[in-house]
Amino acid sequence: MLKYLLRRLLLTVPVLIAITFIVFGLTELAPGDVADYFISPELQMSPEALAALRARFGLDQPVLVRYVNWVGNILQGDLGYRFTDGQPVGDVIARRLSASLTLIGVAMLIGVVVGVPLGVFIGLRQYSFWDFSLTGFSFLGISMPAFVTGIIALFIFSIQLRWFPSGGIRPVDRVPTLLDSLHHLMLPSLVLSLNYIATYMRYTRFSILEVIHSDYVRTARAKGLGERWVTWRHTVPNAILPVVTVVGLSIPNLVVGAVFTETIFSWPGMGTLYLEAVSGRDIPLLMGMNLVIALVVLLGNILTDLTYAVVDPRIRYD
Amino acid sequence: MPKKLLVLLVVMLLLVALAPAAAQGGGTLVGAFDVGPGGAPKAIPYFDTAGRTWLSKIWTPLVTWNADISELEPQLAKEWSSNDDATLWTFKLRDDVKFHDGEPFTAADVVFSLKLAINPEAATQFTSFSGLAADSVVDVRAVDDYTVEIELSQPSPRLPYIMVFLWILPEHALKDVKPAEYQNSPWFFTNPVGTGPFMHDEYQADQFWALKPNPYYWKGVPKLNRLINRYFADETAAILALESGEIQFSYASGDVALRLAAEDKYQVFPGPSGVTNYFIFNYRDPIFKDVRVRQAFLYAIDRKAITETVLQGTAEVVPCIGAFPSMWPDASELNDYAYNPDLARRLLQEAGWDSSRTVEIVTYYTSQFHLDAMAAQQAYLADVGVNITPLTQDVPTYNSYFYTGENWAISYRGVAANVANFPFNFYVKGGFETSDQMPLMGEEFPELNDLIQRARAEKDAEKYVGLLQDICRFQNQNAIEGYMWTATRYGIASKNLVDFYWFPGPGGGPYEDQAHLWSVSG
Repeated sequence: MLKYLLRRLLLTVPVLIAITFIVFGLTELAPGDVADYFISPELQMSPEALAALRARFGLDQPVLVRYVNWVGNILQGDLGYRFTDGQPVGDVIARRLSASLTLIGVAMLIGVVVGVPLGVFIGLRQYSFWDFSLTGFSFLGISMPAFVTGIIALFIFSIQLRWFPSGGIRPVDRVPTLLDSLHHLMLPSLVLSLNYIATYMRYTRFSILEVIHSDYVRTARAKGLGERWVTWRHTVPNAILPVVTVVGLSIPNLVVGAVFTETIFSWPGMGTLYLEAVSGRDIPLLMGMNLVIALVVLLGNILTDLTYAVVDPRIRYD
Repeated sequence: MPKKLLVLLVVMLLLVALAPAAAQGGGTLVGAFDVGPGGAPKAIPYFDTAGRTWLSKIWTPLVTWNADISELEPQLAKEWSSNDDATLWTFKLRDDVKFHDGEPFTAADVVFSLKLAINPEAATQFTSFSGLAADSVVDVRAVDDYTVEIELSQPSPRLPYIMVFLWILPEHALKDVKPAEYQNSPWFFTNPVGTGPFMHDEYQADQFWALKPNPYYWKGVPKLNRLINRYFADETAAILALESGEIQFSYASGDVALRLAAEDKYQVFPGPSGVTNYFIFNYRDPIFKDVRVRQAFLYAIDRKAITETVLQGTAEVVPCIGAFPSMWPDASELNDYAYNPDLARRLLQEAGWDSSRTVEIVTYYTSQFHLDAMAAQQAYLADVGVNITPLTQDVPTYNSYFYTGENWAISYRGVAANVANFPFNFYVKGGFETSDQMPLMGEEFPELNDLIQRARAEKDAEKYVGLLQDICRFQNQNAIEGYMWTATRYGIASKNLVDFYWFPGPGGGPYEDQAHLWSVSG
């Protein structure tokens, strides 16, 4: 297992280099640069000032030179400074990543804790009232975008009932307590979790229905095992495996999976930061974020593969 | 025992009675000061084309606009004058101003600030949005502690208008920061020092910036206990916070402002955007060299109806690029291009317009206001046989194409066009680095060029405005662009704000808003 892990980790290095090279190339192909971003179309910008800006950000150098410089800085642990506001990229990403991990992590956790058991529940009761009701809910949860549910939730719980703040991660007029932070986190994470609950419920239901009709479950019943034993020892553990894949594939979402929710709730996370980076043609930030995202995806995949071995005794990596 | 209890009770009552009085002050105002077109979250001096409403709370320029941006008002400079040809300007400074840290403000700070703002190594945007070319400043010097001279290589009759954008930074605090590292300095968000009414208290990146009163403020200590600028991802989020009572001020689009204005709990601050929305034709496409085609676009679109219905009265039709009536000649000298689709059809036919052709109209606008307006324009033009397709691009993409003069036929856009900040460079060679070195629209108009040169050099304010009116007349009669309207922009504030003021100045002003008098009641 350790050998396998090391091999996978080593393989991530060339993949990361390839990813950063491709992303750097793509940012070059995109029309406009940070100097174009700085021009307010409604105000004015002189050609001289634009040239000075491009020189300041090193955009007057060949693309390959800039890429090599960037890699050189990365190897020294320096992600550089944001073009658009001069802040250190590492600090900005760390701050925003922490906010995103909190929001999306809690939402995913709610999704797993609520969605998987509900999926098991309706999977075992196919075509029942609960199955139809919760399946209907899951369709709604999957198809309703966060900017709709978010606005509705804000209108009801923030503007009308005033139970929750309308956005932000803390109150601005006092030093926040843990309770304050939870208060700010609750509404956006619940809104975001709706999609996760619906998704995990659907997958779990589908997986349960597949397993429940499999030969080994039929055999277990034929052996005279009790229904509870069949369900919890044979059906559910085997049905969980595909769900683990789905949850594992959701791990990259932890980084930039909540653009709409972050926007509506003014939650300063990675999703909105990515939009800022793209719209500002902020290459250092864009590259830094892509590096983090690539790392999370690669490590997420490794983690998923390792989890298989834990959940499914048939899988061995030695 | 009862006696002791009585004393205790009296003490407690006294404490209760005194506590609110001590805590009251002017209260805490939380606003979304960087939402909307004038905002720029995390802006630092000289490094953004907007955000000046908030910056003016911390830093102060030598002069500023008055409340409705119609005249200049003294700030750190008491008075100013120039030599005859406006190449040497003298600014007399106030001698009673201190920075937030108690250090006195002197002429050395002005010299330091201007030199930094135009330093190519710092690569600020000051030279761009102010219009002051770095190489036109021959020297800036302190004559004494409270007198500054600025020497220019060419006449600049409107230099005081440029000084509106020059925030005065403290030399004593920033002298060790290298110009190239200016933008990356953490100083601006950790311990910034200015001469504005409020001083730094707490900055939480991406969340808010809180200020407290400047005890040295030369107009008097501000009433508010705290002024907080809360950051929002977009206007919708800010409006939701306003409606939930968490903030007391935000910019609002026209449709939102009209809805909130109907409620009793808000104060509405409308004002002219100072931005003209128009079609700019690319004359590199020969069809647009024909004045009949350009005029047909104006006759084909019922601009008045669009402003009254689609834009719900939040915009006013303009006759030329100037956004203010003071820049227009008498109406009798202007063609109002009243809606006349028959005339538009005839002009197009005479000019040989190919009605099977589809023209993309590029824009960077994404707001509902402009999208609705463009949909209406599309329908009106289709009615006379002109097929247009609006194409929205993000700002960097738009700019990367637009300013080269290539790959676009018509653009629907906006430009700030007021008396002090007129977009002369849109009409002259060298104004932008176009691929063919021609003016942006690909055509040079000798008569317009002459008017522009005269206006740029004119020192007399009245004659200068007269020249702007001449430019307007020329633009209008020749329909060199398709002038549409100028919009009203809105700020919405809670009713419990006292003496609060906001104005939609381009880029956020700056303008005199008497922030030291603001307070929150109740």
